[in-house]
Amino acid sequence: MTEEDSSAKMSEDVERYLKLNPPCSSSSSSSAVAFANKSGTFKSSSPPCPEHVLENVLESVLQFLTSRCDRNAVSLVCKSWYRVEAQTRFEVFIGNCYSLSPARLTHRFKGLRSIVLKGKPRFADFNLMPPNWGAQFAPWVVATAKAYPWLEKVHLKRMFVTDDDLALLADSFPGFKELTLVCCEGFGTSGIAVVANKCRQLKVLDLVESEVTDDEVDWISCFPEGESPLESLSFDCVESPINFNALEGLVVRSPFLKKLRTNRFVSLEELHRLMVRAPQLTSLGTGSFSPDNAPQGEQLPDYAAAFLACKSIVCLSGFREFRPEYLLAISPVCANLTSLNFSYANISPHMLNPIIRNCHNIRVFWALDSIRDEGLQAVAATCKELRELRIFPFDPREDSEGPVSGVGLQAISEGCRKLESILYFCQRMTNEAVTAMSENCPQLTVFRLCIMGRHRPDHVTGKPMDDGFGAIVKNCKKLTRLAVSGLLTDEAFSYIGEYGKLIRTLSVAFAGNSDKALRYVLEGCPKLQKLEIRDSPFGDAGLRSGMHRYCNMRFVWLSSCVLSLGGCRDVAQALPNVVVEVFGSDGDDDDDTVTGDYVETLYLYRSLDGPRKDAPKFVTIL
Amino acid sequence: MEGNREMGPKLLDLIPQGRKWYQEDKNNTDQEKKLELRLGPPGGDEEDHSAIKKKNTETRNIKKESEDKSFHCFNGNHFSSSNKTTYVPHISHKRTAPGPVVGWPPVRSFRKNLASTSSSKLCNDSSLHEGQINKSDDGEKKVETKKEGMFVKINMDGVPIGRKVDLNAYNSYEQLSFAVDKLFRGLLAAQRDTSGGEGEEKPIIGLLDGKGEFTLTYEDNEGDKMLVGDVPWQMFVSSVKRLRVIKSSEISSALTFGCSKQERMKH
Repeated sequence: MTEEDSSAKMSEDVERYLKLNPPCSSSSSSSAVAFANKSGTFKSSSPPCPEHVLENVLESVLQFLTSRCDRNAVSLVCKSWYRVEAQTRFEVFIGNCYSLSPARLTHRFKGLRSIVLKGKPRFADFNLMPPNWGAQFAPWVVATAKAYPWLEKVHLKRMFVTDDDLALLADSFPGFKELTLVCCEGFGTSGIAVVANKCRQLKVLDLVESEVTDDEVDWISCFPEGESPLESLSFDCVESPINFNALEGLVVRSPFLKKLRTNRFVSLEELHRLMVRAPQLTSLGTGSFSPDNAPQGEQLPDYAAAFLACKSIVCLSGFREFRPEYLLAISPVCANLTSLNFSYANISPHMLNPIIRNCHNIRVFWALDSIRDEGLQAVAATCKELRELRIFPFDPREDSEGPVSGVGLQAISEGCRKLESILYFCQRMTNEAVTAMSENCPQLTVFRLCIMGRHRPDHVTGKPMDDGFGAIVKNCKKLTRLAVSGLLTDEAFSYIGEYGKLIRTLSVAFAGNSDKALRYVLEGCPKLQKLEIRDSPFGDAGLRSGMHRYCNMRFVWLSSCVLSLGGCRDVAQALPNVVVEVFGSDGDDDDDTVTGDYVETLYLYRSLDGPRKDAPKFVTIL
Repeated sequence: MEGNREMGPKLLDLIPQGRKWYQEDKNNTDQEKKLELRLGPPGGDEEDHSAIKKKNTETRNIKKESEDKSFHCFNGNHFSSSNKTTYVPHISHKRTAPGPVVGWPPVRSFRKNLASTSSSKLCNDSSLHEGQINKSDDGEKKVETKKEGMFVKINMDGVPIGRKVDLNAYNSYEQLSFAVDKLFRGLLAAQRDTSGGEGEEKPIIGLLDGKGEFTLTYEDNEGDKMLVGDVPWQMFVSSVKRLRVIKSSEISSALTFGCSKQERMKH
């Protein structure tokens, strides 16, 4: 069921309940009295208090309400509903860890089982934020350790997590089941070891694109003996060797293991052994996909047979150091694959072809641009069910060769009509190809095009890329996320502001001519939540044009634009519920680069609890 | 307006074509080269560019993307406040050698340097693929992708102003040591010259062997403070986070200050 379906169903349930038991206005006088008494003490003495009956029934109904948007709406109905909703909410999503304090969370919600927390803004991934900016998990783990002993799931993105935090987590939550760390840092294999060892009910340990320091701890051996409840173990981002025998032993005693993503220190032979042990796997990260250097002997493992035996595999990734001669071993699973990630493998069109032409069911495909336009054409010819495509640059420089172009993009748009999400790095592009995609793929919700050469126009016509992106916002009516690039004038932004009715996230770099562009966006795009802009000629006037809406946005990031301290201060003073941070790219307080009135980076976000107290010296909160 | 955009940028807007701008318009190449604003001597070529680039990295100002500021200037977006940036030299900086831009293209660090992993080498050698990146380019590519500009901060005891060095510009500790001397010699002399008389510039030597007045130290990615020169150069480059030139007499206290996490774990 999609979130929309389930939310509709929940709304039906609630509606049905409401028809039977209309709240507030038409109910008995005792509940009216109860509401009149704001202090909360019920003057009515007739048991059982209808108020309580209402709450109990509501509680039962709200158990089924899972969508956070619905829950937020429910909590606004009245104080009683707010209370019941707070009691029955088990999962909480915090998109910006600084939008509220841990104390506020624990005060409102008393029975959380699952927490999703996001920290740094995305541009931090590209070295645009000095280290030690913040987003520490520590205060959260301390607060939740006390408040939610039955916490089961923690999902963190771009947070700073220390080994001590992980140790506290492992100690505090006896029923802990799922730990997912995406783009996190600050911890090492010793922290992971503690979690592995102490969380006896651990089902999910997923480390995704995180920096994990090598403390030279054999963390795999720290999983307890006996049958393991593990269902998902992902450590492909861990850049240190592991004890393979211990891993094999762990896999053998994990009958529920469905997802296993190994790192590049697992060789092809070792992978083979794992696959033989766990034929029930559905998702496999293949590690290096390269044999050990030492020649094995006469009997080479039959890799194709291993893949044949793993009938359930639908998701493949890894291939970190792959050897082309072994690639065809994955052929037996191709027809069943729904997700294939080749984005670490320098695969040519020639290598791709025999594989991809069997992948009729693929929905998610990630690859390097080494597959070239030719490879994209092969994808377009076969992968009719494709929903998500990501093409990363093998050589991420501005003046590298650029083996993919508008040709590949257009081919994909013509072959993969169900496409919903695309991330495409290239060196050159045409408005024509982008427009074609806008017309052929009406289901697009995510369109992220990165023309790596800054300010590059349409390479055929020499015109700016305004028309292409304009077509995207006009034709793709479901678009919620957009990233633009190439040569763009203010006009492109007028299109975005006017037609981007559902856009929630917008990324801009090296684009636009003037403040008008920023104004178009801030005065348009009614659903805009996350705005990240770098190196564009937007100044104080543009910033001011968004004053009316910063309280309703998750964050705004502006770096290397044309902002002054005075302009940022104006925003800070006008909007007390918005925290305005300014900082430079250097993280030192003894920096020689005193900025004067110039603001290198502005990061503003709404917050219920005012400015944070853990800001480092290089951050100024206005 | 659109027409203006296409015509105007040739002279001032240097970002679009990056290095290629003077290649595309072959007719005007020589003409325009002569008209270029440069820091170096006129009539130079590629070699001059790299030298100037080095020079510019040493004298960098506030923003790394300072080249974009001239673009803004062109578009008439003034912010009068910042008088720290001087536009003219940065225009020439951009014209001769558009420097690497921090965080662009927006690819996370673990997705970079794919060219230097073993798989790419094997692919380039294998006859199984066609039309891939050339064998002959592989070596260059490896060097080029690494030479994105690895800037680390360097401070020196007694000098309040820190600098930045591009470690990818050097291949050995000797070269780095020499660069440190060039960077700080004048500043150090200026600091010491309190009497108002002529401060003599003494070369800063013996940074690596403990024999000089100063010693070069660094902080690695785990926060440990170490003496420069103990590990192979590439290993140093991959783990160094910042540099510090300290007085040789204070070596022992400087290095033990700030126990790293690893140290704590061992105890």
